[in-house]
Amino acid sequence: MFLALKEIKHEKLRYGLIVLIIFLISYLIFMLSSLAIGLASENTQALESWQAKSVILNQNANLSMNQSVLTKNDLKNLDLTKHDAYVGQTATVAKKSGRPSLSAQFLGIKKSEFIYKDLELTSGRKAKTNHEVVVDQAFQQRGYKLGDKITLSGTKGKYKIVGFVKNAKINIAPIIYGSLATWKKLHVTAPNVVASGVVSQKSLSYKHKNAKTYDIKHFINKLPGYTAQNMTFEMMIGFLFVISLIVVAVFLYILTMQKLNNFAVMRAQGIPSRTLVGATMIQSLILMVLGVALGLIMMTITMAAMPPVVPMAFTPAIMLAGSVGMLLMGLIGSLIPVRSILKVDPVSAIGA
Amino acid sequence: MAAIELTNVTKVYGKGDAAVNALKGINFKAEKGEVVLIMGPSGAGKSTMLTIVGSLQKATSGKIVVDGQDISNLSNKETNSLRLNKIGFVLQAYNLVPYLTVADQFKLVDKVKKQGNLSQAELAKLLKQLGVDKLTKKYPGELSGGQQQRVSIARALYADPTFLLADEPTASLDSANVAEVGKLFQNLARSRDKAIILVTHDERLKQYADHIYQMLDGQLTKEK
Repeated sequence: MFLALKEIKHEKLRYGLIVLIIFLISYLIFMLSSLAIGLASENTQALESWQAKSVILNQNANLSMNQSVLTKNDLKNLDLTKHDAYVGQTATVAKKSGRPSLSAQFLGIKKSEFIYKDLELTSGRKAKTNHEVVVDQAFQQRGYKLGDKITLSGTKGKYKIVGFVKNAKINIAPIIYGSLATWKKLHVTAPNVVASGVVSQKSLSYKHKNAKTYDIKHFINKLPGYTAQNMTFEMMIGFLFVISLIVVAVFLYILTMQKLNNFAVMRAQGIPSRTLVGATMIQSLILMVLGVALGLIMMTITMAAMPPVVPMAFTPAIMLAGSVGMLLMGLIGSLIPVRSILKVDPVSAIGA
Repeated sequence: MAAIELTNVTKVYGKGDAAVNALKGINFKAEKGEVVLIMGPSGAGKSTMLTIVGSLQKATSGKIVVDGQDISNLSNKETNSLRLNKIGFVLQAYNLVPYLTVADQFKLVDKVKKQGNLSQAELAKLLKQLGVDKLTKKYPGELSGGQQQRVSIARALYADPTFLLADEPTASLDSANVAEVGKLFQNLARSRDKAIILVTHDERLKQYADHIYQMLDGQLTKEK
């Protein structure tokens, strides 16, 4: 620690530049991770808030609830419990003069079922009639207010916003919760159609020639663009970790090469190689801790300044995983110069 | 008891036809309180002898005794400890850690050798004796060559070694400074009861030596 701190103190500019690079990398990692989690969350917020474990869809719907329709006949053998709920889903555009139009997902639900009962309102009340809707807070963030009457593409009627809910997004679109009857108007269907699907908090195993039960993880992974988007982010974050590893290793290696003569003298003077190795590894940790701490501070400031419409989620899990990941990269990076230190021959201090 | 004694020490580099006999059965002794010079032309084997006396590499054969202890067959860890505790080095260049102040050079010794170092009062006295007591907050880069050398001597003596080993200590000094350094070594050897071994080309140091050895083609002969 002594040697590590003294050197950093003496070579402020040199180590400051390394910290700057580590800070920028960690900031980018936090930023991308937050975006990745934020976007992923906007795909699945609603499913998570329902604590869904399985979903029954038309088996020809390619796991898309928007494309799925289930008839009474398809569900004739299903014993609905308090943990199951019908959902009718369709894409729509909400409009009101003086407000921006919003692409949304309309979800028709039943008052008697758990999705309706468990709605977590941030303001207002739950919808009681077919002409009332409860909408995601994204509407509020774009200027919509309680009592606003909106039109939905595909129908002529107006629907009054009576409540706002949080964490109500699916397929990266805000949800409009209404009745199944309204959904049937929006999503023109045959008379015997009941819903798009059945969402359950239990792991169902219902089977019918037209209907199939899917595990919720499988369903989420098949959400349009979800897997591709996550893999893209994961690749970028992975590469950033590798880049940070290379940066630390290269910097420390160059610095160590420049100090080999000093190390040889210290070894000749009897200073154990473990002291020199320890100093290098601690130096690497100090640089990473400083860089990551600056990254965390900058990210916190960024989150405060970012408008709510940007889908970013800077969670404690991201902070912890990103920080621990960077520290590990620093430690691994410092192992490369350590090899050179262990090979220092104290005889070279004499030049014999 | 001699501070260091070498008996019939050889050093061979390489094997077979390529073998080079750098030291050919040398005998050497330095007592505490003495200044001993090892002189000779370049390539004579002085540096090889310095590395063996300094426990930086092992002899091929022969016996080496430091302060009564046979060190011929010590492990790497033990030789490391020996260098830390019993040998003070004053090397030609890179003597001091560039990012440590003069005061911190001694703190570094404290970090790795917890006991047996000079007390702070003794250190202050030593620094005063060497004329560098006002430079404790300076970095090596802010010191002149002569000042760096004196701090190096202080750093070498701080761990209270049995003997001090200096490699070409007057390489870049004019005659006046050579005389000053010669007297300083003589004074330190007497006042601190240390054996001081100087490996040098510099004939001007002869007058300050108690004993002089000449190295030529790997063989050591005692001149004085």
